[in-house]
Amino acid sequence: MASPRTHVRILRGGGDLARSLHPGCHPPDNQGMPLAFEDRLRASRNTDGGFGPIEGAASEAEPTALAALALDDDASRRWLLANQRGDGGFGPVVGSVVRDDTGVAALALANGAERERALDHLVATFGSNGPGAEGDALGWPWSDGTHGWVEPTSWALLALRAHRPNEAARLADGLALLRSRESVGGGWNFGDRTMLGVDLHPYVQTTALALFAVHGLDPGLASRGLDVLLRRWEAEAAGLLSLAVAAAALRRFEAPAAPVAARRLEAFDPSGADTVALAWATIALGPGLRSLEVP
Amino acid sequence: MNEPTPHHPIDRPIHRPIDRRTFLTRAAGTAAVVLGASAVGWRLGHPHRPPPFDGRVFGPPGVATVAVLRAAFYDEGLEATVLDGLRQIGADVHGARVLLKPNMVEYDPGSAINTDPRLVAAAVTAMRRLGAASVTVGEGPGHRRDTGYVVNASGLAERLRDVGAPFVDLNTAAASLRHTNSSYTGLGELWLPQAVTDADVVVSMPKMKTHHWVGVTLSLKNLFGTVPGRVYGWPKNALHWASIEGSILDIAGTVRPRYQIVDGIVGMEGNGPIDGVSKPVGLLVFGDDPVATDVTAATIMGMDPERVPYLQEAGRFLGQPDPARIRQVGEEPSSVITPFAPAPGFEGLRA
Repeated sequence: MASPRTHVRILRGGGDLARSLHPGCHPPDNQGMPLAFEDRLRASRNTDGGFGPIEGAASEAEPTALAALALDDDASRRWLLANQRGDGGFGPVVGSVVRDDTGVAALALANGAERERALDHLVATFGSNGPGAEGDALGWPWSDGTHGWVEPTSWALLALRAHRPNEAARLADGLALLRSRESVGGGWNFGDRTMLGVDLHPYVQTTALALFAVHGLDPGLASRGLDVLLRRWEAEAAGLLSLAVAAAALRRFEAPAAPVAARRLEAFDPSGADTVALAWATIALGPGLRSLEVP
Repeated sequence: MNEPTPHHPIDRPIHRPIDRRTFLTRAAGTAAVVLGASAVGWRLGHPHRPPPFDGRVFGPPGVATVAVLRAAFYDEGLEATVLDGLRQIGADVHGARVLLKPNMVEYDPGSAINTDPRLVAAAVTAMRRLGAASVTVGEGPGHRRDTGYVVNASGLAERLRDVGAPFVDLNTAAASLRHTNSSYTGLGELWLPQAVTDADVVVSMPKMKTHHWVGVTLSLKNLFGTVPGRVYGWPKNALHWASIEGSILDIAGTVRPRYQIVDGIVGMEGNGPIDGVSKPVGLLVFGDDPVATDVTAATIMGMDPERVPYLQEAGRFLGQPDPARIRQVGEEPSSVITPFAPAPGFEGLRA
């Protein structure tokens, strides 16, 4: 595996193709040395206060909410408040597809009526599992009317645990989904345990995020997931997002590998990284990690 | 509970939570459909309804050109073979902004999941030799949110660095809303990256693989990776929910790939697109028509293209499905058939 410093940049896709950066070239503002994750994240903020999925792209809910968590940032929260949908949710609406980023947004918002509306939306939103689904749990979907998946369910669980701990039924449903979708041996793929009789192996990114959600709810589930993370995080460290979420989880749960993962992350060249990955790296290495601690 | 609204006028959602029981139920239904399919009539195309595509946009398919060239290895001779193939199909990219769209799904050492990075690098160089103004490689994996992991771990990053080609993560790239030119999903609009919409020429570069939901995945199915996960999720569940076959048709009808390069040097058979078995074929398939290319590749795989429902429907408007109107150059497909083990439940696709 190549060292982190030799990785090709995942280029900014904004604007015309001529604006794309060539691998191996630092962006013009880089002055020869990569900016720290937090600095680069701050530098990618749009003038409206929000964050796009990549620097220069229009602001969207998910990257803005993650930046708010990473930076404890009021400007990001203001953008979220200004872009809350009428149904209380967050996320782009593309034709008939309504992306739902309400879980991470609700976690990022400060106390207030808007957060309550977001939480109401979360409580009322279910994944749609058809006949033959694995278990009865519904969880939360990526977009309205589709299946429940590990990542949106994890964010919803975190938000409800933090701000609506009395929503027992939804908390139980979310936990049940994560239990039913646990990979054989622990950890999580995107949301299926098996496919056509084949066991799906766990991914580092989804496993690390789900660990935040289930920690303190199901010790066995969390323990198996952490074991998976400890075994696999280095194998997927070629990706900034995977490494960053893993480093955050390892630090949060005080795993012996946490310092090693942090050093590996610090050595990763963030040039061209997308906002979600930058925010996770900032969370992993900074005080933003506290924003993911729930009672 | 928010039940899905059956807003798609043509097809019912066919994707369900993925377990064996669900699959077997679905596969049985698909098999029945396949066996009952005719050359132009499929469940997508209700004969008494207007065609679910804009005939003014597509027009009748003309004569297509497909070149099948031998290439046993991913070696230094690859670039010359790719250049030869592109020339044989008359690829014209002079002065064009070219986007190469490989199939980068997942990283699993030793497997044949992805379009080989060496082939992608060879295509970059060949496009430049043909006068392309710029060549960019873009992909938006549906199975991995961490595109950087797939690109770095697979070796694509290193190969692109060698040839100085930029990579765009289509899952996060700036995007804009486009009306679809067909309505198989009922979505009506697709969020497409500007890297796709701004390109003068989109080249679909799939791996030659079987697929456990639609039978085969080739240049048309590969275009799933052009729509961003940040809107449609990981996997791109909103599209699965709206119908995988319908999404293939709507995406392809909107992206309109100009050329195709199918990586059949080593393909994947059985439980593709991820858990199948490597299948050495030793061929590259080049085409100037995605339907003709996929019909040819499916034939080489030992499948009957007329039994692949979405391919048949694509032949109504996206390209040329009629072998008599496909100008074959290079190897004659019937002489290089290398039967693939079908995906489970798709045994009925065998020729």
